[in-house]
Amino acid sequence: MPIIELDHISKFFGKFTAVKDLSLTVDKGEFFGFIGPNGAGKSTTMNMILSFIKYDGGTVKLFGQEMPAGNVAVKKRIGYVPSDVRFYPQLRVQDLIRYTMDFHRVKENKKEVDELCELFQVDRKKKFGDLSLGNKKKVAIVCAMIHQPELLILDEPTNGLDPLMHARLFRLMKEKQEQGVTIFLSSHNLKEVEDYCSKIAFIKNGKLIGVEDLTKMNKKVKVVTLKGRNLPFKQMEAIGATCISRKEQEGRFLYEEDLTQLFTTLKELSNELEDITVSNRDLEEQFMSMYENKGVEQ
Amino acid sequence: MTLFRLECKTHAKSLLIWMIVVTLVTFGMMAMFPSMKESMSEFKNTMPQEMMEAFNISDMAALSTVGGYFGYVFQYIMIATGIFAAMLGTNSLAREEAEGTIEYLYAQPISRTSIIVSKMLSSFLLYTLYWIISVAVSLLICLIFKESGASISDLVTNFSLFAFAGWVMGLTFLSVGFLLSSMLSSNKSATSLSLGLVFLTYILGIVGKLQHDFRFLAYFSPIEAALPSKVFQDGIEGKYMLTDCLIILMACCLTFWIYRRKDLKV
Repeated sequence: MPIIELDHISKFFGKFTAVKDLSLTVDKGEFFGFIGPNGAGKSTTMNMILSFIKYDGGTVKLFGQEMPAGNVAVKKRIGYVPSDVRFYPQLRVQDLIRYTMDFHRVKENKKEVDELCELFQVDRKKKFGDLSLGNKKKVAIVCAMIHQPELLILDEPTNGLDPLMHARLFRLMKEKQEQGVTIFLSSHNLKEVEDYCSKIAFIKNGKLIGVEDLTKMNKKVKVVTLKGRNLPFKQMEAIGATCISRKEQEGRFLYEEDLTQLFTTLKELSNELEDITVSNRDLEEQFMSMYENKGVEQ
Repeated sequence: MTLFRLECKTHAKSLLIWMIVVTLVTFGMMAMFPSMKESMSEFKNTMPQEMMEAFNISDMAALSTVGGYFGYVFQYIMIATGIFAAMLGTNSLAREEAEGTIEYLYAQPISRTSIIVSKMLSSFLLYTLYWIISVAVSLLICLIFKESGASISDLVTNFSLFAFAGWVMGLTFLSVGFLLSSMLSSNKSATSLSLGLVFLTYILGIVGKLQHDFRFLAYFSPIEAALPSKVFQDGIEGKYMLTDCLIILMACCLTFWIYRRKDLKV
């Protein structure tokens, strides 16, 4: 069942196109990564999903309902952690938590709130404005989860968190995912996306440029790095490898055909080369090749 | 209801400060009444008639009564009240976007209509509380300093009319402030806009009063309609109140219309 359905949505700010004809589906229970460089349109897309801004074309559906129509009922099912947490600075954390519970009309989960506060070591007596960036983030995480949402939208959730809290957050997210919660994560940290997300979408200049199943991607595609004076571009091309970058004495290739053929070719070429490395294609590699538009000038 | 409580809590401190300042200033000005009433005739000869009209002191005889004197000095508190109401409105919606708290607020299960309703109701309550207490304290101060033989019942009747007119004046500024707030995405200019709005309409009132050809301008001056010197003398003028009510209605409707359609700045 799709939880988020973006169907050909666009957003224009005057003459500037922030998002163009973007379509995306996130299914129930998915841990979905949404990545792209700064200014790619990630935040604009999230703002349209959350109805902060209107979309100029297409439709946004959450839980099968078009937004913003009926959005109050839908918003009860969503938890949101913003990238830049700016809650009411004059309020104490305990008041913020209480107000959030009141907004969601949640009264009976004191135990869960205590557990969340304990897990993230939230000091409830302090004023929100006096907290550090990391502690503000922890409060935002607690507030987003108070009402046990079915969809969690996380925008750079680990910004400012120490490694311990970072690990706790993702352990909790993984638990939530196992319970059927859908998680939509926007992040610049490719390692955390790679470690936890099951599917990712790449956005560039407001356009979706690819959706990948991470598990498949890692296993199937290999990155071959060759070092030497005379790099064998023709031989590599002949077996179906694609050059993705070329430096002075180093060439990098993508390969997703028969591995036996690759290793046979590499064995034949081994005398001409100084070093050969074959590795799984990681997300960083994927990201760089997509966004840098590297390569292939031989 | 949650946002209503949050708003009341947020503004309670500034409300208290405004009320204390208004009380102290009113007391200070009224404390001068016993000594001032004797020197009023000398004062009359030093100023041209037009200027006295502009400052609402054309009826010098009235200035030697506590009601007349209060009517003159309290016009400055009326301007301050207009600024307070306008600022309450102008800051209300724009502040959430300027401070980024809208990202928290609008992520909660609350519609834009509910945000406006909650904020309008809390501002309405805060302003009404401010006004009731300010008028009640002012009446008390007038009773303390009233000249011997002055009728208490007349004073109370006049104050009741003035309380109503002043309340409508504040609501007018409050609703226009809300309209401005729905269009702004930053409250940086809220104070200057509020001051501009109140002083501009105040000056329109003076021009309308002094220039017969521009009499209609006075109807766009909510302060002019509620000046205690005017209300004590002529009662409440229906045309002024009708204009204020129309402005309130239009400003409220436009606020809903604009805010529901705008892109929130996050």
